Amino acid sequence: MADALFLMLVGMLTVFVVLILVVLLGNGIIIFINKFFPEEQVATKPSAAAAPAINANVYSAICSAVSTVTGGKGNVTDVKKL
Amino acid sequence: MLEKIYDMTAIGAFIDNPGYLLMLLIAFVLLYLGIVKKYEPLLLIPIGFGVLLANFPGADLGVVAGDKIELGLDENGRMQYMNLFEIAHEYGIFNFLYYALIKTGLLPPLIFLGVGAMTDFGPMLRNLKLALFGGAAQFGIFTVLLIAMASGAFSLQEAASLAIIGGADGPTAIYTTLKLAPQLLGPIAIAAYSYMALVPVIIPLVVKLLCSEKELKINMKQQDKLFPPKHQIKNMRAVKIIFPIVLGVVVIILVPSSGPLLGMLLLGNLLKEIGTDTQRLTTAATEYIMNPATIILGLCVGATMTADVFLDIKTIGIIVGGFFAFALSVASGICLVKLFNLFAKKKINPLCGATGLSAVPMASRVANEISTKYDPQNHVLQYCMSSNVSGVIGSAVAAGVLITFCI
Repeated sequence: MADALFLMLVGMLTVFVVLILVVLLGNGIIIFINKFFPEEQVATKPSAAAAPAINANVYSAICSAVSTVTGGKGNVTDVKKL
Repeated sequence: MLEKIYDMTAIGAFIDNPGYLLMLLIAFVLLYLGIVKKYEPLLLIPIGFGVLLANFPGADLGVVAGDKIELGLDENGRMQYMNLFEIAHEYGIFNFLYYALIKTGLLPPLIFLGVGAMTDFGPMLRNLKLALFGGAAQFGIFTVLLIAMASGAFSLQEAASLAIIGGADGPTAIYTTLKLAPQLLGPIAIAAYSYMALVPVIIPLVVKLLCSEKELKINMKQQDKLFPPKHQIKNMRAVKIIFPIVLGVVVIILVPSSGPLLGMLLLGNLLKEIGTDTQRLTTAATEYIMNPATIILGLCVGATMTADVFLDIKTIGIIVGGFFAFALSVASGICLVKLFNLFAKKKINPLCGATGLSAVPMASRVANEISTKYDPQNHVLQYCMSSNVSGVIGSAVAAGVLITFCI
């Protein structure tokens, strides 16, 4: 019985220590990546329709802005002059 | 002549030992649950068929106890065992597979490799604090360990193997039992997978007992808007690649005995996150390795359930104790969230605690169904996945602790 109590104490403590480490390490990795490798290399293929209609430098700037604002999730599929 | 034909069949053995018939009935029930009810069919069908094959008297397809392959002590006092060829020759192919692939503890880590390759740490990384609730769910494991020891019916090793059912993780339960109490492998595997299949019944039952409607209506997305997370992840792919490497190093230094399970889980996950460069390995882990491993594991676990082993009072204890371990794990996760909500400004839906079990992603899907029943707009799936995935890590660590101290 004393063994079981000891195991309960050590077991729960170890599980929580490990999960606290998971949280701390996860946050640490996120901060590190955000600081040193903030941009995901998103393969943004200019669409056939968009590319010729607009200057390549302007198109790259728009892609870069969208990527920054959306945290890498956004993708430019078309650019039209209004 | 007729007598010789009668002796050739298994009919006489069935009459002499009706326990075989009972085991065949159990096999049919398992097959029914897997095929008709679709409860964990990938495992219950091979296990059920293994039980069926192992309980035909005279067919010698059942897995024999460890003492049958012992040859005695050598001059240094170390136990000598039959080699695999001798085991295959003497006891048949099921025993060969069992002692080569399962008793050595090989298949559960290989299955964890595939599980890792199918696991997404993304939801957990987006909601890291919720990962802590995966720890609370392990409370059920240690409480049932305590109760099983207090009952006096189980040794420490057997109680630890029974308790790990509360982790709701089949390979972890099998791995722990193989290390601590291999004689209970059959009933523990059956209980673990049966209760995992019953997650859609057990979680709503415990939630109904412990949670109010107001608590279940807590909208996590609204809470996120009111209290936004400190860090937005700017490069999720890089985080997902570094995370399993760093986590593996740190956790396995702390709990080395969790290494075989956790190490393979994290390797599988790393292969998946790297993407196209390791696509072939990811496919191998999730299909070519995991699928045959699952068949052999299920079949051999079923083949350990012969009448003389399974029809024992301890089996009833395992079935009852396993249920309590499971229900307590769900309840303790909910209780920790309730405790947290007493002090925190940012409230958490208690369903995020209920999913601290390892049954990924079924537990999260069930929790999402419950939350949308009370408020169709309140989707908690991504939040529950955080504690759900951390529950896999938590139960592997709990298993490591049990193996270290009980072996």
